[in-house]
Amino acid sequence: MNDVRARFHEDLEHIRKQVSTIGAYIVELIPRVTDIMLSSDLQSAEEVIKGDAMIDARVLETEELILKVLALQSPVAGDLREVTSALKIIADMERSADLACNICKAARRIHGYEMDPKLRGLVQKLGDQATKEYRKAVDSFVHRDVMESAALGDIDELLDDLHRQFLQQIIESHAAQAIDLQVAVQLTLVARFYERLGDHAVNLANRVRFIEEGHLPDLHVSHRELEEEVGPATAPDSST
Amino acid sequence: MESVIAVDNLHIYYDKFLAVRDVTMKIAPQSITALIGPSGCGKSTFLRSLNRMHEVIPKARVDGQVLLNGEDIYGPGVDPVTVRRRIGMVFQRPNPFPTMSIYENVVAGMRLNANRMSKSEADEVVERSLVGANLWDEVKDRLDNPGSGLSGGQQQRLCIARAIAVEPEVLLMDEPCSALDPISTMAIEALMEELKERFAIVIVTHNMQQAARVSERTAFFNIDGPGQPGHIVEMDLTENIFSNPREKATSDYVTGRFG
Repeated sequence: MNDVRARFHEDLEHIRKQVSTIGAYIVELIPRVTDIMLSSDLQSAEEVIKGDAMIDARVLETEELILKVLALQSPVAGDLREVTSALKIIADMERSADLACNICKAARRIHGYEMDPKLRGLVQKLGDQATKEYRKAVDSFVHRDVMESAALGDIDELLDDLHRQFLQQIIESHAAQAIDLQVAVQLTLVARFYERLGDHAVNLANRVRFIEEGHLPDLHVSHRELEEEVGPATAPDSST
Repeated sequence: MESVIAVDNLHIYYDKFLAVRDVTMKIAPQSITALIGPSGCGKSTFLRSLNRMHEVIPKARVDGQVLLNGEDIYGPGVDPVTVRRRIGMVFQRPNPFPTMSIYENVVAGMRLNANRMSKSEADEVVERSLVGANLWDEVKDRLDNPGSGLSGGQQQRLCIARAIAVEPEVLLMDEPCSALDPISTMAIEALMEELKERFAIVIVTHNMQQAARVSERTAFFNIDGPGQPGHIVEMDLTENIFSNPREKATSDYVTGRFG
């Protein structure tokens, strides 16, 4: 039998395309903001910040389409998982684009300050790792690759390690008076932004598994994150 | 909005009883308009008034105006048979003429309109109509078999073929899927999606999900109480009716908080 719900399936395809497009944009955005951070390119920073409205509009447009499909087409089974997951994924992506903008804003705030070369190297590594994770997550969504999405939680530990190293280096550089306090504060935030980008990539990958296999993401991941939250927070007290 | 049918202040009566009051609506070309509402709200009565099928009941009458591409179908001297040729209808239960072959069923409407057709003309109409109704491939080798030998879903598509054979301007469908299984229902819905490119379609359905799936516009009919006339509560883009209706009564109905 031919496709008896052609319009519905077209809408599903359109949602998929929209999500993939927004995802691809963010994959390109992360290395771009890393360059901006390192080169202190204020004009590009401005462009990225202004471009965020475009992403917000796209996310909203996709949300409207999803709501229409839910209201009119009563999707079930895999279609239901796909549509409801898309709703969550676009929220993650919208937030990811905001984080990229925040990195640009931090670049603006530390414009004119010197940055320790060790820290510059770590910013590059954080940017590379976050880009790699986001690309894998978006690829796994586009290709419905459950194996790739399953690996992302482990890959993200590398980013978490880099995050810790970076924080440690900020403390050391600041103690050695190699960076100003304002730079230290902004870089701490930047470290956090990259780390969050990785988390959003993991969320996306988990959704791919849910769409394909029907199991909701395992909660033990967030427990692990919770333990890590507690760790670094107490460390500075002992060092000062 | 451009319209094929424009209804203005239509009141529909069964003798002295006012069954539907004051309907004003426009039916857009190349689109599907769904009429939804609880039983007894007058949506089928309204549908039948659109091609003068209402008046076949003794003492039934209407008040108001129905324009079909600008012409008043209730105007003086207008032949109801001509109106019904221009506005075709498909009913709840498939009703092919039981003794007629599939072939004869399709051309029945043409013959009724006293058009003399050559064999080759008739052949062409039969093929075009059955292809249009997505039934051709299933029946092309047994066109001389009786129409009643087909499955329910096929019979309904045969009735659609019969209705579109006369090239109407509008197709009315009164719960065309309520006697069909889900797969046949999907097939009819897919067919409607194709047919709307050529005809404006008005469908009465009890199945709200069907209205949501297939139509561009939806009109919600309701009734205030027993003995009260049915009326339109709200008509809007289907998307709005099912995601953000203006009227509370519409919201209560589509979310199942009624009765």
